[in-house]
Amino acid sequence: MNPGYARVLFVLGLIIVAAIIAVTRKAWAPGAFHALPSIWRIAKITVAEARRRRVLHAVVVLVVLILFSMTFFSYLSPQEQARMLISGGLAAITVFGILLAIFVGAFLIPQDVENRTVYAILAKPVRRFEYVLGKYVGALIILGAVVAVMTAVLVGVLAIQDRLVADLPESPFNPNLGGVIFAAVMSYCSLAVLTALIMLISTVASTTMTVVSAFIIWAVGSLQSQIYDLAESATGATKLVLLVIYHVMPKLENFDFRHQVSNFISYSVYSGWTAVLHGIGYTLVVLILASIFFNDRQV
Amino acid sequence: MSSQEAVLQTEGLTKIYRSLFTPAGVKAVDGLNLSVRAGETYSVVGPNGSGKTTTLKILLGLIFPTSGSASIFGRSIADLAVRERIGFLPEDAYLYDCFSGEELIDFYAGLFGYPRKRRRQLVDELLSLVGMQANRRVPFRECSKGMRQRLALAQALVNDPELLILDEPTSGLDPAGRHQMTRLILELKRRGKTILLCSHFLAEVEEVCDRVGIMYRGRLVAEGTLSDLAGEATEIVITTAGIGEAAAEQLAQQAVVQDVKDGVVRIENADESQLWAVLESIHRAGGQILEVTRPRPTLQDVFVRAIGEEAQ
Amino acid sequence: MQTRRSRKWLSVGLMVGVLMLIVPLQEAIHRTRPSLFDPDRRDRRVSAISVGPTPAVIAALGGFRTVAADLLWLKAENVWHGGSWWAMLPLLDAVTQLDPHFLLAWKVYGWHAAYNLNAESETLVDKRFWLRRGIENLERAVEANPDTWEMYFELGWTLFDRAHENWRAAHYFKLASELPDAPHYVSRMYYRSYEHVMDFENLFPAMEWALSRHKDVAMHQKLVRRDIEWWTNHWDDPQEHRRQIVLENTARKQRSVPYHMYPDDPYWDVCPVCGLPSPKGSEVCENPLCGHRLRAEAGGESLQPSAG
Repeated sequence: MNPGYARVLFVLGLIIVAAIIAVTRKAWAPGAFHALPSIWRIAKITVAEARRRRVLHAVVVLVVLILFSMTFFSYLSPQEQARMLISGGLAAITVFGILLAIFVGAFLIPQDVENRTVYAILAKPVRRFEYVLGKYVGALIILGAVVAVMTAVLVGVLAIQDRLVADLPESPFNPNLGGVIFAAVMSYCSLAVLTALIMLISTVASTTMTVVSAFIIWAVGSLQSQIYDLAESATGATKLVLLVIYHVMPKLENFDFRHQVSNFISYSVYSGWTAVLHGIGYTLVVLILASIFFNDRQV
Repeated sequence: MSSQEAVLQTEGLTKIYRSLFTPAGVKAVDGLNLSVRAGETYSVVGPNGSGKTTTLKILLGLIFPTSGSASIFGRSIADLAVRERIGFLPEDAYLYDCFSGEELIDFYAGLFGYPRKRRRQLVDELLSLVGMQANRRVPFRECSKGMRQRLALAQALVNDPELLILDEPTSGLDPAGRHQMTRLILELKRRGKTILLCSHFLAEVEEVCDRVGIMYRGRLVAEGTLSDLAGEATEIVITTAGIGEAAAEQLAQQAVVQDVKDGVVRIENADESQLWAVLESIHRAGGQILEVTRPRPTLQDVFVRAIGEEAQ
Repeated sequence: MQTRRSRKWLSVGLMVGVLMLIVPLQEAIHRTRPSLFDPDRRDRRVSAISVGPTPAVIAALGGFRTVAADLLWLKAENVWHGGSWWAMLPLLDAVTQLDPHFLLAWKVYGWHAAYNLNAESETLVDKRFWLRRGIENLERAVEANPDTWEMYFELGWTLFDRAHENWRAAHYFKLASELPDAPHYVSRMYYRSYEHVMDFENLFPAMEWALSRHKDVAMHQKLVRRDIEWWTNHWDDPQEHRRQIVLENTARKQRSVPYHMYPDDPYWDVCPVCGLPSPKGSEVCENPLCGHRLRAEAGGESLQPSAG
């Protein structure tokens, strides 16, 4: 594949997004003045509530422990150690990130509805879409903080290992820090898209249903290529359904650079940023749908 | 707004809950025509399932009516500007339980866009008003029921609303707590706020309300001031001592005497001369008159009567 | 109420329409990424994935193939230190199936088969089997990683050092040295392959080619010039020829690989039995421990194979 293709797509994506924003500014600009502070307030309380619940701290501590435990493989050569740390560390960040996205995304709105804490908020001059967006922004901040901490720990561990094995004459350690940070950022972007989809479901379903649906989405997302294969061999309505599922599910794989980074294979940064642009568009549509459904939700 | 203008008005408000198990639907609110005037304290009372909370939720935009309309301050309930002027105390004080009182007030004040200085002022003012200054840093989940209700009232007052909607403000409170809450409501009434109150506790409703509406099965079955609803007191109760059985039987035969039991004589719809005749009969029979009273019907009586009639 | 509902579904329809426009772009983005996993590999033989450690299987299904490969790799290491060499290969096979870019796994598999298992084998058949296995594995590694110099080099080295297939080795060394980041010694190995079999027709052009590479590396330039000078002065030195033949065929003997017969050598005939050189035209092998007849009878033709 021509490497310039990714760059072209990226520039095209930027132009499209800018055009959409410019063309629709009359629709969103006036409301934004009122909406942004409310969204920010709800985001802040969402983050504050998550901080009060010790679960997040436990998750971060667990991941940090896992990352440190990977340094115990000192019998491996530096090259193997680097690979273990990078692939294992990025995998831990992704796994815990996904679990966190599922539980944070699934609990935010349904819990407020089930606890009826949403009554006091919606009785205030807060539009329903501001509430949904506020919750989403809060989720993004929570996920971002956790991913940032885990990435910082991983980078720290890699840097320390690099320093420790610097005098060894064997194959270089090569911590590939730039790649690790890029892979972690892309992982975070995929979590942002996943969280939006989970929140869409949570606006119409209960907590349990949302968690179950979120795991199904994750499973379907991981098995996308198998679904495509199944769709190719299926016929009629089944084929249509499978193809729709395949295409509509967000291709989180486009954000996955862990493999390239662990194996020190070159990757196209533009491919990643184009996926992010696409993800932004997808997320916006999903959030608008979530707002529409929540607007009609009888709490 | 003049005191006679309606702050809140509903016309034919109806809410039907439909589900797979009840395709025909359950009418939670049935053609409700409610009107609350500026400055008055209006209470909606009714048994569980009568549609009180549903009505409040419709007014606050938490659920949507099947038909009919409602307006607050002359504007549709869907208008966001309405919510700038109302305050809502939800039943059982559902607020974020990991935050303290001051954090909660600060958050809700922030939703109205108040700057930090104003929010700090509000926190102090409101916590003083509801008597929570000393416990401002206690997390909501560690507060007693009474403290929670007071905090919930404080958050409802954050925007100094013209209309307050209180859903069961004293539910779950001990007598001291109920007393405190009632005093607060009276204070707010004194400050000129319009209050729409839903409650089970008829005694406190009697204490604070100007008008009462009795709801049953989604319909307003009776409405008016307490005296309108209670009507004239027609019964007179005479407490006596020393009347023998024969004398009691003779007394009971008089037209206006309803009942003579254990020395208590009840007469109904008696004019003055008939009353004196009964008193004389007691005296002639050798009985001692201990007490003569004309008890007023309580709201409880009115309530039971209205529900009973409606049930029939 | 009706207007509200119809407005809601109109908005939903509009958003779904926008979504339908956006989602096909995902495929386009997906195609800008290099295909990491060849779909044909699905049909390969079942390996330790189906019987391997459960966390690895779950991780593989969850899209964490790299982590699954790591876990199996650790198990392979344990197995190695535990002494069961034979169990390593299926595990390494699984590792490379899960993660074809895990170069070390390919290298260890190739080395383990072509060196350790080859050396451990008692019969010639077994030795050749393991050597073949190692080389085939490295050929698959090269297919899976066509853009990295390391696998070409590894294959070239195994062919050169273990199988003594010098011409094939030279081909792979050259391919390796043309790829980015290949170290300078790779281009020197290219001509070394020819040197060991004294293929002067290819040796000198190969040395010139190696000289034209890595012009900024002084040591490389110095070493290549030294080799060019040496062979320019000694290409027709009979003793140098003898030295090379002895070296090469001794090594081949140790590897249980057939001797190289040096058919065009002007000075020496190679004994097919002991692989050592005897002066051209000798009737009997000069090696006192061998004594093999090099000519059928006096004046007869050499029993040496003719030039290919």
